Amino acid sequence: MINGLKLFLEEGTTLLATLSTDAESDLVILAQHGDRNAFGELVRRHYPKTVQVVFRFCGDPVLAEDATQEAFLRAWLNLASFQVDSSLRNWVYRIAINAAVDFLRHRPEVSIQDEIAVAEADGTPGPEMILIAKERTAAIQQAIKSLPEAARSVLVLREYGDLSYREISEILDIPFGTVMSRLNYARTRLRQLLEGYLVRPESMNE
Amino acid sequence: MNEHVTEWLGVYLDNELRGPQLHRVEDHLAECSTCRLELDELQNLSQMLAESASAERFTPTERFVSNLALRINASSLNPAERPGGKTRIRATEMAWWLIPAGLLVAWFFVQTYLTVSTWVSTAVTAGAFGSLAGVLQGGSSHSVWFTAVLILFGNGLPGHAGPFLNALDDISIFGSQITAQLVLRVGIGLLYWAWLAAWWRRRRQSTSKSEGFNLLPHT
Repeated sequence: MINGLKLFLEEGTTLLATLSTDAESDLVILAQHGDRNAFGELVRRHYPKTVQVVFRFCGDPVLAEDATQEAFLRAWLNLASFQVDSSLRNWVYRIAINAAVDFLRHRPEVSIQDEIAVAEADGTPGPEMILIAKERTAAIQQAIKSLPEAARSVLVLREYGDLSYREISEILDIPFGTVMSRLNYARTRLRQLLEGYLVRPESMNE
Repeated sequence: MNEHVTEWLGVYLDNELRGPQLHRVEDHLAECSTCRLELDELQNLSQMLAESASAERFTPTERFVSNLALRINASSLNPAERPGGKTRIRATEMAWWLIPAGLLVAWFFVQTYLTVSTWVSTAVTAGAFGSLAGVLQGGSSHSVWFTAVLILFGNGLPGHAGPFLNALDDISIFGSQITAQLVLRVGIGLLYWAWLAAWWRRRRQSTSKSEGFNLLPHT
């Protein structure tokens, strides 16, 4: 009887050990059952990339963090309805982009000049090259920001989220062909806007 | 020379072209320097966008997780408590309460059964069934009430009632012994206490779980 109980307990422990492996779906299942540590681990995994994508989308680091936090909070609250076999990352991106869109609609415009000022004031005065790099970064951000929202979201999910066209079409709920055309438009526009910063490959004649 | 493939270059660069369209673009690129130049420019753009990605300094991951934990604790909601999770939780919660309810029903049944059994046997001893009393007491292989039922209804019992009464009769013989009665009562009592202990433990665990979102890395 006691041996049987021991065996039962050991099996239970083994099951728990299996569940607490690093597999994302296991963490999601644990989190769905209210395990906050498991959810903390999921946040740890997806935060850096998500905040980058959202930042590129909205152009404001504070707003990007707020939207990312909002996205993870909403993800936690709606975790019960999440399908374990789908991609949590893509789901979080979707919520985060939507949160950022909401935030952008309710906040005043953030001037890109402020960002340059911050970039210059922060850290030690470096060589001219650093300043140029910072200016270029600001210019890129400004260019992305000037894109229409629809093209911008496709571009950042592709360039900073490394998502496939199929994933982007699912996240944004748009047809595959629309992903292609919006991406084409965004890239063409960016090349025009950033012409001065792009290193032009040597012209070749046909 | 074929028509330029400019509109497909981004798709080609993203590795999203398949089948004949991919071959068409590859064949064209092999012979068209204008499109190759265009492809290089697109590559440069992607590279430039990627390089600028690391410029911004965001809240470090651990601090972000802590801040989020504070908000989650403040909202003090678990995914299980949200609408989507309700049905599953309700089912387990119901199963959880069925155990004590079942035990109470079992207790009530045993108690009623024993009481009725005692009444019948007391009545028989007191001579309530008159001439039947001798027969009732004499049936050593059956319990007192079973013999009484047999005599009262005779063959008038419906067919399926026979095996059922027989089974009850067997339990009755077992239950008529004082030790057996004790075992039944103590058994049900113990099961009830075990459930109570388990319930209390579960309650304590769920309270402590919702208290903290401590941020130790998950192992």
